[in-house]
Amino acid sequence: MGDGMPEHVTIIMIEDDAGHARLIEKNIRRAGVLNEILPFTDGTSAIAYLFGPDGTGAVNAGKALLVLLDLNLPDTTGVNILKRIKENEHLKRSPVVVLTTTDDKVEIQRCYDLGANVYVTKPVNYENFSNAVRQLGLFFSVIQVPEAK
Amino acid sequence: MVSASTAATLPAAPRPLLNQAIVMAAGFAVLIIISVTSVFLVNRARDDGDLVAQTLLLENTLANVQSLLLRAESSQRGFLLTGDSNYVSAFDGTMADLSMALQHVRAGAATSERRRALADRLAVLVQAKQDELRHTITLRRSGDDMGALAVVRTDRGEELTRDITVVVSQMQQAEQALLDERWSASRSSNLWLLVTNLAGVTAIIVIAAVALRLTQRGSDALRKAHREVETSNLVLEQRVAERTADLQEANNEIQSFAYIVSHDLRSPLVNIMGFTSELEALRTDLFDRLARLRERAGEEDASEDEVLDKDFEEAFGFIKASITKMDRLINAILELSRQGRKEFVPTAVNMTEMVEAIAATMAHQLMDRNAKVTVAQIPPLISDRLALEQIFTNLIDNAVKYLRPDVPGLIEISARETVGYVTYLVRDNGRGIDPGDRVRVFELFRRSGPQDRPGEGIGLAHVRTLVRRLGGGITLESELGVGTVFKVTLPRRLVVEGNGGRDA
Repeated sequence: MGDGMPEHVTIIMIEDDAGHARLIEKNIRRAGVLNEILPFTDGTSAIAYLFGPDGTGAVNAGKALLVLLDLNLPDTTGVNILKRIKENEHLKRSPVVVLTTTDDKVEIQRCYDLGANVYVTKPVNYENFSNAVRQLGLFFSVIQVPEAK
Repeated sequence: MVSASTAATLPAAPRPLLNQAIVMAAGFAVLIIISVTSVFLVNRARDDGDLVAQTLLLENTLANVQSLLLRAESSQRGFLLTGDSNYVSAFDGTMADLSMALQHVRAGAATSERRRALADRLAVLVQAKQDELRHTITLRRSGDDMGALAVVRTDRGEELTRDITVVVSQMQQAEQALLDERWSASRSSNLWLLVTNLAGVTAIIVIAAVALRLTQRGSDALRKAHREVETSNLVLEQRVAERTADLQEANNEIQSFAYIVSHDLRSPLVNIMGFTSELEALRTDLFDRLARLRERAGEEDASEDEVLDKDFEEAFGFIKASITKMDRLINAILELSRQGRKEFVPTAVNMTEMVEAIAATMAHQLMDRNAKVTVAQIPPLISDRLALEQIFTNLIDNAVKYLRPDVPGLIEISARETVGYVTYLVRDNGRGIDPGDRVRVFELFRRSGPQDRPGEGIGLAHVRTLVRRLGGGITLESELGVGTVFKVTLPRRLVVEGNGGRDA
């Protein structure tokens, strides 16, 4: 199944729970996605990576990024990160997949309003969880990810 | 502080009123005194005036007596000189006038001893004079001219005239004195009248001023009391508003606490569930590998592996069942917190129709349990339809769930009305609730009686939360083995306060 997403696409996984991160990674791999997955366990380090030392995001110009974003982070909210990505000149076309436990209607609306590309609620039932993430992996393998400007 | 100042103001209020009554009474008394005195004084002044007039008349009559005497004397003299009888008839006429005048004098002077004596003396003198005059006339008529002249020549007539003049002047003096006396009496009566009236007017003005002042003070006190009541009302309202806000805040805090807790509990649960599944997968791999290794080692007996596998299976079974239960409980808390934060929209709800519709959706369930729902005509409400539906669905569902299997089920919905509130009764003939559990059943995750029915113990907790949020209350009466009545008391009109939290 290595014929999916081009190899150069990097998956940025922002997830504070190490266990969730591991489970997500396992299931994405099971879907045959072999792209590099960069895990971040807090918002600060993720922002530092995404926007670079100058904070402009120019550091990632020319790279194809896909962001997997949890909303409940210890230091900042995922919504804040989503907002900054979608407002950034270089990163705004990078797909952002919100993967979180929150199924609050208002929160979902807000994320889509801010430009989230996909919003997925983590099912508690593991079978459903792994199914959801695997399908997300399959989805990753078929979508086109543009390069950051 | 508020009640103290109010209490201090209120008993003070009757005193100005009492004072006002006293002032009014005093005013009326003064008016009555003035009126009575005035009437009395006016009467006296009129009497005084009459007396003055009488005196003046008497004086006039006395002057008349003197001039009549003069006229009589001149008529006598004329007759003596001429012998013309016309003078005699004139003399007679004058005499008649004179006796009339004398009568007036005697009548007028009758009021005092001295004046009556003078009047009597005057009458005697006048009679004597009259006799003397008539005597000369008689003499002349009989031809005795000399005799007549001789009478005239005596000083007798002159003396009488002088005496009469003296008596008249004495009488006039007496009358003048009387007149002066009566004048001064009349003047003093008038003066008293004036003084009384002036004093009365002054008193009235003073009383009016006092009354005005008292009224003003009274109304000032009233205004002040009114202001104080207003202020204390305001303070009270403010306090109620503050307490309501505090309660609202506490409620919101609990709701958001429930929300956060349930969310944050989910996260580790995902891990527990996920890695348990991963472990299960690992176990399969492990036992496969074990089987292969056993095969390679030539060991035929797999019973040890089977025992291990069973232990694994049991452990996983417990873990998974617990996770599932925990997931359900977390979802229940989440749902409850959502209900608690949901915004209510008051609309007119026909309760009879609503409850009938709920019963209709349960037709299948009711048939299975051989049960029937009867709905009386129950009063409508202005409240949140969705919340009401959830309350009555839960209550009826609950009633159906705990019916006794050996008796045909009967669930009756009726209502009782009070001012501002309606109490809806949901009565069943089910298995009843143990007295010790009548409070517990409303608590989250608590259930009563044999745990032989599916459920998490959420329904009644949910119902109570909703009823309370609608501004009402719920109680129950029950007898084991006979049935249960849930009493839901709700305000006829839901007042929506500020809804806290997000809409979830």
